[in-house]
Amino acid sequence: MRPHSPEPGVLAGEPAIVAGFTASSRRRAGPGWEPYLYLLPGVVVFTLFVVIPIVAALAISLTAWNGISWDTATFVGIDNYIQAFEEPRFWTALWHNLILIPYFVILPTILGLAPAALVHQMKLRGAALFQAGLFLPYIMPGVLIGVVWRWMLNPIFGPVNSVLEDIGFDPPTWLADFTWALPTIGFIGAWAAYGFCYVVLVAGIQKIPVDLYDAARLDGANGWQEFTAVTLPGLRREIAVVLTVNLINALRAFDVVKATTDGGPGDSTTVLALFMMNSLDGNRAGYAIAIALFLAVVTLVLSLAVLKLFGDRDD
Amino acid sequence: MDRRELLKQTGAITAGAALAAGAVPALGLGVAAVAAQDAEFNVWTTYQDELRSGIIEDIGAAFGEENGVAFAHRGWTTDELGDTLPRSVDSDQGPDVSQVNNGESLAGPMARGGQIVSLADYDGEYGWSDRFAEGLLARCRYSADGTVFGEGDLWGLPAESEIVGFYYNRQIFSDNDLEVPTTFEEFETLLGALREAGVEPLVFGNLDGWQAIHLFGEIHGATANREYLDGLIYRRGEADFSDQSILDAANKVIEWSEAGYFMEGFDGVTGDDATALFTTGVGGVLMQGSWAAGAVREEMGENAGFFLMPPATDSPVLHVGGVGIPFSITANAAEADEAAAFIDALVSEEAFAAFVDAGLLPIGEIAAESIEEGTVSGDLYTAWNMALANDAVGHYLDWAAPDFYDVLTGALQELLGGQVSTEEFQAGLQEFYAASFA
Repeated sequence: MRPHSPEPGVLAGEPAIVAGFTASSRRRAGPGWEPYLYLLPGVVVFTLFVVIPIVAALAISLTAWNGISWDTATFVGIDNYIQAFEEPRFWTALWHNLILIPYFVILPTILGLAPAALVHQMKLRGAALFQAGLFLPYIMPGVLIGVVWRWMLNPIFGPVNSVLEDIGFDPPTWLADFTWALPTIGFIGAWAAYGFCYVVLVAGIQKIPVDLYDAARLDGANGWQEFTAVTLPGLRREIAVVLTVNLINALRAFDVVKATTDGGPGDSTTVLALFMMNSLDGNRAGYAIAIALFLAVVTLVLSLAVLKLFGDRDD
Repeated sequence: MDRRELLKQTGAITAGAALAAGAVPALGLGVAAVAAQDAEFNVWTTYQDELRSGIIEDIGAAFGEENGVAFAHRGWTTDELGDTLPRSVDSDQGPDVSQVNNGESLAGPMARGGQIVSLADYDGEYGWSDRFAEGLLARCRYSADGTVFGEGDLWGLPAESEIVGFYYNRQIFSDNDLEVPTTFEEFETLLGALREAGVEPLVFGNLDGWQAIHLFGEIHGATANREYLDGLIYRRGEADFSDQSILDAANKVIEWSEAGYFMEGFDGVTGDDATALFTTGVGGVLMQGSWAAGAVREEMGENAGFFLMPPATDSPVLHVGGVGIPFSITANAAEADEAAAFIDALVSEEAFAAFVDAGLLPIGEIAAESIEEGTVSGDLYTAWNMALANDAVGHYLDWAAPDFYDVLTGALQELLGGQVSTEEFQAGLQEFYAASFA
């Protein structure tokens, strides 16, 4: 339906004749330049801090710039991209990002959804405190999370292995084990993110009309059926949000990896952002920025795919 | 805020905006003219700790008084300085003197980019090349056009140096009737004896990767010769990683690992955590650099000692080590002569004494009267003088090629984790090294 809004350029209650023009003559001439003036500050900021850096990054990615001296910023075409695609370490790093997706995206969503639904359906007391506690890891800086978990998982004085050994297990050196290091980082990522998922999903549940639950109960639905028939469909938008945010976090994972394993052992936990950073440290700024742009494109494509799959189809 | 400070900050914001705007070199915008007229003498370092900041500020204050300039020091993290310095110099916002990291990490690109000044003339004037070991200074040299590393002009002069060695727990040694080893073989026997006595023999931590470079470098340095090692780092002659000494060192690392010479769980502990464990009484021997001497001395007092890797042959061991980040004159220096005089003040006798007092290692020989026997610092200084006399300060192997640090740390973790054979380890290093010449 057409909204009840004034004609473009004509404010509500504005006299039909402005500065010698009739409303009809203004319509023919278009809205004029004034509306664009209001947009100008936003456009300037957007251009300065978004458009120009993206264009500049694109330009730099086509050069051999070493990040130190502009003399080295010679045009090399798409060589940086070709070099990256021919580099096995690049694909290994990307593969590790993809392996992290189930840990960073699906696991925390499930871990957040379960308590959110339980708290709502069972009307638990003290939910606000619980909520704040769950959200805490999400507001901690990634480096701090990494350092804390590195300490927790220390094979000599860390509490995790001490407890496991006390109860009769022979645990691996989680962060230094070629098999376990990447899944361990995945679990740390899930731990950091599930509080965020919980808070978003709880907010979503609270918006689901109570009538729907009442109707479901009248139809004889049990708790599980309420969850699948009312809660889950009602959370479609929120699930899309948490999946997208977590997906972006999985693809841009850096700080937790840097603080726990720095990509090791070997290159078994190297992710694309770390690989990019190492290239930058190696004075290969053009190459590093090419990798960053590739990562941005992958993130954009996968995020759009998630939104397409889970987003609100009514929009 | 005075006018100069305001102008400086405005310039910084402009430079930042230009950088954010992309590949547009930040322009001076007239701010440099103000800086040039000012009598301020700016020095940027990676010194953020109290000890080093205190030393440089004391030296700077005395220098400022003598030369009628206002000395100003700014400490950065190494990464921040590396990121900021070239751009600041390009926009005439740089300091007069700055620490510029060796080799291709910063010095080479800045020399070629005209952002730092050759010290060749000042070297002649102050005689630095005659006063300090060539083995140390070579890593501050580039050809006049900045393309050949390890020879030619000095482009920077370090005030400090570093050497990797072994700290030991005197109490554990005396409890087990052990003595400081004088040969490589004795060292292996010592590590075996510690394991048998139920003490963790060699403490180090490799979760963050870098300590295995030191371990491998120390074992390799026990048999490597100077010409080969210099060739590998400075890319001279035929030296490469296909050398038998690389395979021998890899085999020795595995032999030590299988013999149980390494602290259990070393792969899950960081290098810094390993030092902390040792100072709290874990293990008989700690592999660490000279930079840890202060922390070890503070925590363990007279219970700690230090020795260098003992020789395996008649030739001296080439110990892992090098120089602290050298000081260079930037292209922004208003008075290059004055800047050179400041750099010379950093290697004066007074400066040496200040570094030694703080438990740090200057680049030259340490006077006998500064050496207190029976202490960890005393052991370190005696060992350092001996290493200097024998031209036995080797290299960090990760300097061999750009990006090599990640490759070498990864390869060593794979070797120690049993993921690759020693032959595969060597082949992987050689493949990367050879490709880096292309």
